[in-house]
Amino acid sequence: MKDISKTIKKVDSDDKSSGKSKYISDYKMENMLHAITVRSKHQKAKIIKRTYPVLKEGYYIIDHTDIPGVNFVKMIFDDMPVFAENEVNYYLEPIALVVGPDKEEVLEIVNSIEIAYEIQIPTYEYTNSVINYNFTKGNIEKAKKESESEIEYTYNTPYQEQLYIEPQGMIGYFENNQVTLVGSIQCPYYVKAAVVSILDSEEDYIRVKQATVGGAFGGKEEFPSLIACHLAIAVHKIKKSVKLIYEREEDMETTTKRHPATIKLKAYMKDNKILGISSNVGIDAGAYIGLSGVVLSRALIAATGVYTIDNLAVNGDVFITNTVPNGAFRGFGAPQMLFAIEMFIHHIAKDINVEPLTLRQSYLAKQNDSTSTTGTFRDPIIMPEMLEKALKESDFIRKEKEYKQENSLKGIGMSWFLHGCGFTGSGEATHINAVVKLEKDKNDLVTILIAAVDMGQGVKTTMRKIVSNILDIPIENVIYNHPDTNLVPDSGPTVASRTIMIVGGLVARAAKQLKENWIDRNYQIFTEKYKQPSYIKWDEDNFRGDAYPAYSWGINIVEVEIDKNTYEVTVKEGWSVYDVGKAIDEQIIIGQADGGQLQGIGYGYMEVMKAVDGKIQQKNVTDYIIPTSVDAPILHTYLIDNPYPLGPYGAKGAGELTLVGGAPAVALAIEHAIGKKVTKIPVTPEYIMELMSNE
Amino acid sequence: MVDYFIPTTLIDTLEFINNNEAKIISGATDLMVQRKKGAEITPYFTKKPVFVFNIKELNFIKESYEHIHIGACTPVSDLLNHKGTPSLLRKSIEVMASPALRNLATLPGNIINASPAGDTLPILYILDASVKIETLNSNRIVKVKDVITGPRRTILNSNEMITEVIVPKEEFTKSDFVKVGGRKADAISKISFTYAVKIKENKIIDLRLAFGAVGPVIIRKEELEEKYTNIELSKFKELKQEIINDYRQYITPINDQRSNKEYRKKVALNLLGDFIDTL
Repeated sequence: MKDISKTIKKVDSDDKSSGKSKYISDYKMENMLHAITVRSKHQKAKIIKRTYPVLKEGYYIIDHTDIPGVNFVKMIFDDMPVFAENEVNYYLEPIALVVGPDKEEVLEIVNSIEIAYEIQIPTYEYTNSVINYNFTKGNIEKAKKESESEIEYTYNTPYQEQLYIEPQGMIGYFENNQVTLVGSIQCPYYVKAAVVSILDSEEDYIRVKQATVGGAFGGKEEFPSLIACHLAIAVHKIKKSVKLIYEREEDMETTTKRHPATIKLKAYMKDNKILGISSNVGIDAGAYIGLSGVVLSRALIAATGVYTIDNLAVNGDVFITNTVPNGAFRGFGAPQMLFAIEMFIHHIAKDINVEPLTLRQSYLAKQNDSTSTTGTFRDPIIMPEMLEKALKESDFIRKEKEYKQENSLKGIGMSWFLHGCGFTGSGEATHINAVVKLEKDKNDLVTILIAAVDMGQGVKTTMRKIVSNILDIPIENVIYNHPDTNLVPDSGPTVASRTIMIVGGLVARAAKQLKENWIDRNYQIFTEKYKQPSYIKWDEDNFRGDAYPAYSWGINIVEVEIDKNTYEVTVKEGWSVYDVGKAIDEQIIIGQADGGQLQGIGYGYMEVMKAVDGKIQQKNVTDYIIPTSVDAPILHTYLIDNPYPLGPYGAKGAGELTLVGGAPAVALAIEHAIGKKVTKIPVTPEYIMELMSNE
Repeated sequence: MVDYFIPTTLIDTLEFINNNEAKIISGATDLMVQRKKGAEITPYFTKKPVFVFNIKELNFIKESYEHIHIGACTPVSDLLNHKGTPSLLRKSIEVMASPALRNLATLPGNIINASPAGDTLPILYILDASVKIETLNSNRIVKVKDVITGPRRTILNSNEMITEVIVPKEEFTKSDFVKVGGRKADAISKISFTYAVKIKENKIIDLRLAFGAVGPVIIRKEELEEKYTNIELSKFKELKQEIINDYRQYITPINDQRSNKEYRKKVALNLLGDFIDTL
């Protein structure tokens, strides 16, 4: 039998590299109108009066008064309006949409709209908690009582911008009595649900299609629903095609980012042992809650990283501030928490004078250990084997000693991490209920009917590979078009490292069904629905039980050197070992690993984004610095198979895992180089200077 | 529709800017970004844009015995390919933006843009480079440091155009250019520092230093350079702290979205100190 992991050519690489792929801004339709968003000039204010100019024929101003349904973007909470009505809560919040044939005139109309505000005092501090989650494991009070000392550190993490190459954009038009939206999106059915709600329409009045997506990283999970609502209201009213493409600055200033966080950790210690840890997490939601509650819960569940700690008290808050709303970003709460816990384990080791590696090893989770939420790590954990590989390939132990003695500004750092695959707890069963279909036509061509989006992660290749391998037919005979809600069932959003493990698992089951029942030259269709394994028990209210069906694991090692004059960091080399179950395609996983690790490292030492008075300061690609290929170190990636019984061919999630360890690895490498404790990211030259001058 | 002009000869260009309120655009890698109004919308210009990329007679690199003459419309990437390009100038171009931008950007564009972070400017300052400025019926030669009067401000009149950059050829005992950006490529300077020194019989006989992005214009202090010239190298090194203190008052950086003033000042002086230590 051939090994599924063996790399094949990515099915869309020719189209993408030759420029043939059509992205949303490439679409042009007859009599297409352009739309530009009218935005708030204040961070917090009451809208007193709007003065709209008299419009030429063919020009429209769309606002909250045009909404047939309820004025909220349908998400978890009804708190974010589609168009501001009587108040604005962040700078550049959408108020209206101007639509018309000439984009320059549309811009002039936008600039001529007068809005009178009554300015109010905005909040940027973490004071207004709108969600609080807390849970315990074991007996933290007992741990506290028995402890002889406490070690406490506070860690801070910043914004991170997805910086997908293609900014947000969508086109809407009216066809066959349907409001149709085509866009750069991750979740066609999220968009559809939001639009059905805002138009208060029948399901079949709305059609959502995916265009080729030029990068997403979570930024096109929930945010596109807002643009879709704006456009759908316009298309519903005007019945013409309308194009809405964000400018780069507009995208960076007004779309969701990674939540800034403050994480306070306290360890209760006795005889150099950690009896328990209490964690206090605050994340900044921005002006509206959006998905922040889920981001917080994923952060809290990651409270102990890869370690087994018997006694825990975990507490977290979502704070509302008058800043741009934050949202989904690859890692989804875990990067913040894993940075904190990885630094903390290291800092505890230093404070009690124990080798960090030794302390880590003594708390590393083993199969059947109890998770942070008192669930069970059911599957084998192969971290010791992965560690051996990572240490050997990087020569970590020798370098770690040598650089410390050399008095050089060289450093090496290591992070250990895990990532829960799929939705939290019973989310897959209670919220998503994925459905997939496999359809065979009379020519024996097989079409995969799912709502999963290829945003560069290679799902068009891997899904086809799974089906062609199971059916033993050429990959060319397997079709997987961009999802269209008129044609595909709801297999759930393309998020949460779930696509291969959950959706791919269902696709594999459907393929097996088809194989067993295959009739040549006959139309056949097979449907599979998600069924939760009966052993997964999750109490959502009390954060108790199995938070995820499975976990992927990883180790990053990063080597750096710091310039003594400029404090600039050069990331010289990186080594990573991953357990993603089984790679469906090795090169695709290595692509995820290279990109993910660089995005994680960038978050750790380079990417600066700040809001001053509620306004994002770095709003273009010149000022928001991410690593280029010149900054990228040589990255060595190793995969060790550890098949997960319910994943296709044993595959688990891989999309987010590769990002979450980057920041602590590079931060620990810098800490090692300069001999000063790092408690926040990004560890910029400015911060290194500060640390080094505090001699 | 914007009224614009794409001349093919210098004389057409000079006539046009003489008779119109015009803005010469040479490279456009910064200007078009500054003036953009959005995708599919014409950028904003109050003056008629004149795109000079097609003037073949201004696309040249010529060498005389004492100078290298660079035509105003020569993309800076051509200077990377030219053998006789002074090594300091080459160094600054190598770290300027990205290859695509270097294929369009020009030295006069960098000069007229007059940003304190302009990559080639510290080099043009310490090499005593000049520009030839022409109008329809006159021309003058002015040192680059006298062309720039402030951030985005120059002495050029609207009927004038830089037609040539003239860089003296000189051999230095030691020279270097350090750019501190947010990353290793495609970044705007937080700080830049350059020096060029001639040493004869252990004596400093020519000393030139300049800093970028730490003040409203490039910082070059000829009176300080003179003060520390004709000094024994060992003595010069002993004077390190004094030299740093002399420069300190002129390093007046700001806080912005790319860095902060404390870092910029400290690193500028570190680089000066390191130059002295390693000379």
